[in-house]
Amino acid sequence: MKKQAKKVVLALMASALMLATACGSNAGTNSETGTNAGTNSGGGDKPITLRMAWWGSEARHEYTKKVIDLYKTKNPNVTIEVEYANYDDYWKKIAPQAAANELPDIMQIDTGYYAQYAGKGQLADLTPYFGKEIDVTNISENALNGGKLGDGVFGMNLGVNSLGFQYDPATLAKAGIDSIPENWSWDDYLSIAAKAKENGIYIDGGMRAEVFFGYYLRTVGKKLYNDAGNGLGYEDDQLFVDFFGKLADLVKSGAAPTPDTLAQIKGVEDDMTVKGTQVGVWQWSNQFVALQQAVNRPMEIAPMLNPGAKEGLYLKPSMFFSISKNSKAKEEAAKFINFFVNDAEANKLILGERGVPVSSVIKEELKPLLSPEQVQVFDYVAWSEANSSPMDPVDPIGAIEVFASLKSLTEQLNYGQISAEDAAKKFRSEAENVLKKNK
Amino acid sequence: MILKKFKWPIYHIFVGLLAIVMVYPVIWLLMSSFKPSNLIFTTSSSLIPDPWIWSNYVTGWIGSSGQSFMSFITNSLKIVIFSTIGAVLSSAFIAFGFARLQFKGRAIWFAVMMVTLMLPHDVVLVPQYIMFSKLGWIGTISPIVVPQYFGVPFFIFLMVQFIRTIPREMDEAATIDGVGKFGLFLRIILPLIIPALATASIFSFYWRWEDLMGPLLYLNKPSSYTVSLGLKMFLDSESVSNWGAMFAMSIVSLIPVLGVFFLFQRYIVEGISTSGLK
Amino acid sequence: MMKSLSLRNNLVGYTFISPFVIGFLIFTLIPAAASLYFSFTDYDLLSAPNWIGLENYTSMFTSDDRYMQSLKVTMLYVFLGVPLRLIFALFVAMILNTTSKAVGLYRTVYYLPSIIGGSVAVSIMWRNLFGDQGVINVMLNSIGIDSVRWFGDPNAALFMLVTLSVWQFGSSMLIFLAGLKNIPTELYEASGVDGAGFFTKFFRITLPMLTPIILFNLIMQLISAFMTFVPAYIISKGEGGPLDGTLLYSLYLFRQAFVFFDMGYASAMAWVMLIIVGVLTAAVFATSKLWVHYETEGGR
Repeated sequence: MKKQAKKVVLALMASALMLATACGSNAGTNSETGTNAGTNSGGGDKPITLRMAWWGSEARHEYTKKVIDLYKTKNPNVTIEVEYANYDDYWKKIAPQAAANELPDIMQIDTGYYAQYAGKGQLADLTPYFGKEIDVTNISENALNGGKLGDGVFGMNLGVNSLGFQYDPATLAKAGIDSIPENWSWDDYLSIAAKAKENGIYIDGGMRAEVFFGYYLRTVGKKLYNDAGNGLGYEDDQLFVDFFGKLADLVKSGAAPTPDTLAQIKGVEDDMTVKGTQVGVWQWSNQFVALQQAVNRPMEIAPMLNPGAKEGLYLKPSMFFSISKNSKAKEEAAKFINFFVNDAEANKLILGERGVPVSSVIKEELKPLLSPEQVQVFDYVAWSEANSSPMDPVDPIGAIEVFASLKSLTEQLNYGQISAEDAAKKFRSEAENVLKKNK
Repeated sequence: MILKKFKWPIYHIFVGLLAIVMVYPVIWLLMSSFKPSNLIFTTSSSLIPDPWIWSNYVTGWIGSSGQSFMSFITNSLKIVIFSTIGAVLSSAFIAFGFARLQFKGRAIWFAVMMVTLMLPHDVVLVPQYIMFSKLGWIGTISPIVVPQYFGVPFFIFLMVQFIRTIPREMDEAATIDGVGKFGLFLRIILPLIIPALATASIFSFYWRWEDLMGPLLYLNKPSSYTVSLGLKMFLDSESVSNWGAMFAMSIVSLIPVLGVFFLFQRYIVEGISTSGLK
Repeated sequence: MMKSLSLRNNLVGYTFISPFVIGFLIFTLIPAAASLYFSFTDYDLLSAPNWIGLENYTSMFTSDDRYMQSLKVTMLYVFLGVPLRLIFALFVAMILNTTSKAVGLYRTVYYLPSIIGGSVAVSIMWRNLFGDQGVINVMLNSIGIDSVRWFGDPNAALFMLVTLSVWQFGSSMLIFLAGLKNIPTELYEASGVDGAGFFTKFFRITLPMLTPIILFNLIMQLISAFMTFVPAYIISKGEGGPLDGTLLYSLYLFRQAFVFFDMGYASAMAWVMLIIVGVLTAAVFATSKLWVHYETEGGR
């Protein structure tokens, strides 16, 4: 009996030993980075440490760290500590930091969460830095205002996105359609979908409710939210019925996949466009490169549906860099953001991965370096610039909850559990219930 | 006798078949780790990889954005081992108090302990984070490890239940021999609940190993990221994910947990029945 | 004399449980109190909370259909999943509690599913098994049953979650195994049922001796089933679909707290959950006097 107790103690001790060695080796690497931080012999500037956080893929982590290293060689007194995670985890990590007033100095924010963080006073207004620390000479007013909320701009637009139909011409041909007509309309779209269905191919994987309903409302001169952000921006529920009714009919007729088919897709690699059973995907332009890589066949981007495509289409910031309100080194943070947006060398590392650059100079500099599919994205965004209208004010606080409600209702609609009329009414009451808090 | 002879093959066929059903998904996972990333989903219904490749293990091991997978493993081990030692020993100590000692307020404290299990962690997470940040513990492993040294209710309750199955005559005999309460705990009870200690060690190891929330919230430096975080680095919903490497490293990350299971399950198997209870 | 003895007893008792008491006061009590306070406010994590009284609690039961749905789904999950999982775990523990040489291997194999846990890999794997072309549907087809649309039917999707929880029965099994091993073999000899058949032994010795462990497993599984989050999160991509069919309580709570930034509401949900689980647990404890056999209390 005692022998056994001894064995357990021995096992525990052995593991403790293992641990000690593990710690030892770790301490070694730590001190290494420590000396790095110590040897900033810079131009006499006092040492500054910034924290910076973002989400993204491995590739993004890698080049962002390189950009930071590059910045350090030019500004030896600045040390930037990085924190990163994938998209879902990132927001879980950031929220408690906000609650504890511990947000990083520089953080990446996306348009969905932007109003939440900016509107609740977590982010610093960047307008005082424009023209000083942040050079805006080559950035259009439109692009800068992508982050406008009230009187301030709380996020630096890192790149612009445009909406379109990203499709595989080979699958389109397989579906018995030669090409997508120029300036195609809803009628064209519906007849193409019907034809593809006859050949056993889906036209698309549906349209993300909040994005494309917003687009549809713009084509008829309405908005999803009113200007004050405390209610919906359209009065006639028939618009909801028209838009989602059409989409639900596609699902019911089998021209677009049912929600449960979509629920089984695990990632881009698993998309039906990749498998050649679906013509394409309606989505933002920054997702084109990944989709193209997964499909691994030449792909095209078709514009949005008419009538009203020009009024409906808008350029959207792909994401922002923001400075937290409680940052103690806001000017330094702003300088880094400027470097990220305006430095040619840095952007040769970034290569438009965070969206088509907002600086016209950088955009030109990058052109010769881009891959063919990136050129397609740049070209489509350039075309969109000339064929779109200014963006609506950023989504108000609570928008995420409104989206969730919309998503759930359209799911019910696609399963035929609710009529489009009832869904429209229910959406209005649920959305207004959330938005009325924004007095 | 004849019955017995028949029983064994039937037993093995039955247990073996059930084992295959249980383990099929794991085999699927293993086989997928030998497939090229872009074929994992398109060929998901066939088990045999074609072509069979090893490169997922290589790219996975190299790790993610400058952190080798080895560094994730070392970081995880550090947290897990410190946590497990603390959790198991402190829980046994506390459990003895609840199971064998008479004192005022025992029932109340036991109830309090049970109630702490019932409050969803999500709502205490933010106040806890603020507290740890005030303590200056953010960016270290302390917020994850230190609380383990104050007992884990699950293990305390587990060990209480085990201690209560031990006949009290054992205590009495020891008390007559002049052994105090600490001696009773150390020399009589602890050796008798080895199966429970081993069980708790296995659980604690595994729970800390797979814990994502703790490392995600409290560790900031990528050089201190753990396996659970590392595995998620391979994936990104906005771009092409490295599924192959993720599957391969999922398999690799099973090895330490399995190792611990092997090491400690012997103590569950041997039990106390063979060690001569009087 | 008596007094000093009881003082001594209290002192020794509290010494032993002091780590828990201290840890509770520091790490749990303060955050729990904070969350109780939040439950009466509109706390959104990003700005200071405002007191709104009972509003969170009342709107939960009067104007939130989705809340009632999550309660229903969770109850179904708990009352379906827990018994299945426990029976299966006990069954497997019994058949693995032999001295066969292969048993170590079996034990590992049966435990394996429980240690791949809630990772992304499991989610992918599980979604694949139940997919339209997955093994489950292929097998159903081969015995003449139509494919089930696991991701399209809320009930089927919930059943998929239950299967996942039963599949990962390893922790309960391990505890049962340890419990079985803790039953002194002498007991079988002493009570003279050594020569008796399996069932006599099982019902006269094994089961009664195992009741403290069954109680433990029952209570812990009950609590953890109510708290289940990861499987629902990973299978429904964090949204609880289809048609809120897998919107477990914890998942909805998480969404309120960290997706919709309504920590006040989430806190209120948590305290309601605490009461529900607390009442159920207390009820199980209360009945335990009737069926749990403690060696300590000398009943044999």
